[in-house]
Amino acid sequence: MKEFNIMFTGVGGTGVLTAARILASAALTEGQNVRMGEIHGMAQRGGAVNCTIRIGENVHGPIIPTGKADLLLSVEPVEALRNVNRIMPSGTIIVGEYQITPTGVLLGRYEYPTDEVILQDLAKFAKVITFDAATLAQESGGILTMNTVLIGAVIGLNLLPIKEETVISAIKEILPNRYHAMNIDALKKGKNAQKKTITS
Amino acid sequence: MNMAEILTKGAAGKRFLLLGNEAIARGAIEAGLELAATYPGTPSSEIGDSLFRAVKHGNYFFEYCTNEKVAMEVAGAAAVANARSLVIMKHVGLNVASDAFMTLNYIGVRAGLVIVSADDPGCWSSQNEQDNRLYAMLGDTTMLEPADPQEAKDMTIAAFELSEKLEQPVLLRVTTRVSHTRSGVELGSIRPPRNNPNFERDPFRFVTVPTVARKRHPILVEKVKKATEISEKSEWNRIIGKGNIGILTSGVSFNYVMEAIDSLQLKAAIFKVGMTYPLPKKQIQKFLASKDKVIVIEELKPYLENHARAFAQEKGIMTPILGKSQGYFSEIGEFTPRTVIEGISKALGKEIPTSYAEIDNKFSESVSEAPPRPPILCAGCPHRATFYEVATATGRKGVYPTDIGCYTLAIQPPLEMADLLLCMGSSIGTSCGLTAVLDKPIVGAIGDSTFFHSGIPGLVNAVYNQHPVKIIVVDNQTTAMTGHQPHPGTGMTGMGVQGAQISIEAVAKGVGVEYVKVINPLKVKESIRAIREAVAYDGPAVIVSRSPCALVEGARKRRANEPIIPYEVDPQTCQGCRVCTDKLGCAAAIWTGEHAAIDADLCTGCGVCFQICPFKAIREVVTNERV
Repeated sequence: MKEFNIMFTGVGGTGVLTAARILASAALTEGQNVRMGEIHGMAQRGGAVNCTIRIGENVHGPIIPTGKADLLLSVEPVEALRNVNRIMPSGTIIVGEYQITPTGVLLGRYEYPTDEVILQDLAKFAKVITFDAATLAQESGGILTMNTVLIGAVIGLNLLPIKEETVISAIKEILPNRYHAMNIDALKKGKNAQKKTITS
Repeated sequence: MNMAEILTKGAAGKRFLLLGNEAIARGAIEAGLELAATYPGTPSSEIGDSLFRAVKHGNYFFEYCTNEKVAMEVAGAAAVANARSLVIMKHVGLNVASDAFMTLNYIGVRAGLVIVSADDPGCWSSQNEQDNRLYAMLGDTTMLEPADPQEAKDMTIAAFELSEKLEQPVLLRVTTRVSHTRSGVELGSIRPPRNNPNFERDPFRFVTVPTVARKRHPILVEKVKKATEISEKSEWNRIIGKGNIGILTSGVSFNYVMEAIDSLQLKAAIFKVGMTYPLPKKQIQKFLASKDKVIVIEELKPYLENHARAFAQEKGIMTPILGKSQGYFSEIGEFTPRTVIEGISKALGKEIPTSYAEIDNKFSESVSEAPPRPPILCAGCPHRATFYEVATATGRKGVYPTDIGCYTLAIQPPLEMADLLLCMGSSIGTSCGLTAVLDKPIVGAIGDSTFFHSGIPGLVNAVYNQHPVKIIVVDNQTTAMTGHQPHPGTGMTGMGVQGAQISIEAVAKGVGVEYVKVINPLKVKESIRAIREAVAYDGPAVIVSRSPCALVEGARKRRANEPIIPYEVDPQTCQGCRVCTDKLGCAAAIWTGEHAAIDADLCTGCGVCFQICPFKAIREVVTNERV
């Protein structure tokens, strides 16, 4: 493979970093050249976070250039919007519907856009696939498995250049034992979930 | 294998997905590390943390020091006593350590000493984005700059070897995108530590009275000459590809260059400089002379660029050197593949291959819809309570200097309790300055780890010069922002041993502060009363606001199977007055229609909102106990 880029976005504390590590580790297991970019420290505290997973022989650095992501995975709608300039026109945006309201919105200083506006804006860049990842995560054992639900969705859509069993091995390798079953369940739920597709 | 095992037992030839910082820790262990010292700071923290976690499996001594200067002294002395040593800090940490650093270069070392400076272009987690390559020039310190995690590991080993060859400290300068990139790293074999510490007395080398310093300076200059010869032949300085166009680059920018020339289908020779001080002058001159033009691509200061110009001038080389001085690249912020593609295109008058303008236009419309989501204090964070109490007690009529740590996030609404910040420990010094010229309450906030780092001299100053500063030590019993490292107040050492705990209140009293009080910020009324009293007190006052970090406490409770009982809002009683949101703004507060609500997944059960609700509409959840 020459280059495959995944942008994983969400909110600090929702496990985006761990999920990205699972994908990067799985890609390495399959013998691919991998770069994963992450942000630590102050940027991590409840703020917008994004991680990049880059796979392929042409990949050198951790940053995905503008318009070069094959996949944009977001656990949160507004965070997809914030990073949508990375997606390529032939790419796919997969976004969980669950909204996490920023403090500025609660304080009445900003507005959270409607679902319709977000989805329309996203669809201007690439095909959008959306579903209720949060409910599936809750059913699997907690909101923190939402990332794994998203990974499952990518597998279900046949968009991930990594085998499902390699991803499952990476889950077992990276997460503590007590979280294995719930994350594998979350992966299956995401894979089999009914999804909506929106194109412009 | 967990990370501690990978670092200390991972077999040579195996590949693991390592963070750049983990790769540096492994490199040091492979090099036979004997001592490591650090003060944590993003983006450097995971180097020390990896060594901390692996310390029981390893054969080295590790400590978290009170600050970077002390860490430099600890590691420097160990290296003088023939122990291979590593000292780790973020870029601004080297400012703190710079006094020790400068003279260490004069005396040199016996065993290898590697100084890691992790710079932060883009200020992801820092108060500035200074370019610490200039410290290599200032200190005449040999410097290596890796581009990725594999090089970070390999260069750490090379740095130890260079350091011993030259008997000088070596700077390993990394940036956020090297430290915080993960990639496959092939391990090498671990050299057992020499374990031959020995202090050979040589006061006319190691005791820098002026006569010694005068003697050591020319020796240092000679060392730079020797290092230059090494640099001319170093495998870390290499040319990749062929072409009439040359690109001179180093560090993380090299990756963007490789991607850019691929996108641009450009035939170019890339001079990747890995040993960036002293530079391979002759090699660079040869490179410049052999090209039609040379583009210099580096983040922050035009360091390579200015050197290249000076080298060209010496030899009368007229090859155009294109870079920041013509405005093709910026000295602000970090680079991305895109900025490099754009810069090269501009420099060569080529068309940019991707229609960025089209994407930008669409994006600026879309992203303007996205409400900002800055980092905020966590749900249940005791700092939020403290700042609410300081704001209430002083009616927001004071000035509120702040310091470096999670509590700086009180800058965000609704707290907005941060007025002035320079650097670690500055809140007390700045409070002194403000009390000297202003006639209003000056209430400075400083964290527990920051207090030990560099707050104490400021406090001595306040007592000595009779500044009636009011200092709130927001003591969450950990170094939270950088990843929960221990510090002198916790007593846990870098060797994983519970040692002496140093009491902040005893230190304050010891330096002569007469008004010292400890509060629990989760008890709102009592805390407000204590802060009012301190503000009214005629003289310097210290309040230690002590309550454990919500993340650490949550993790402890989960491990101990202790229940976390969240709060909930009774929608019948809630009048929608918004006090809980507009004054406190806890991350667990959400709204459903006209009523406040609490996210039970995020609520830590701290009870602060319960105490401030004017309508008593908040209560403990009794039915939904969460473990």
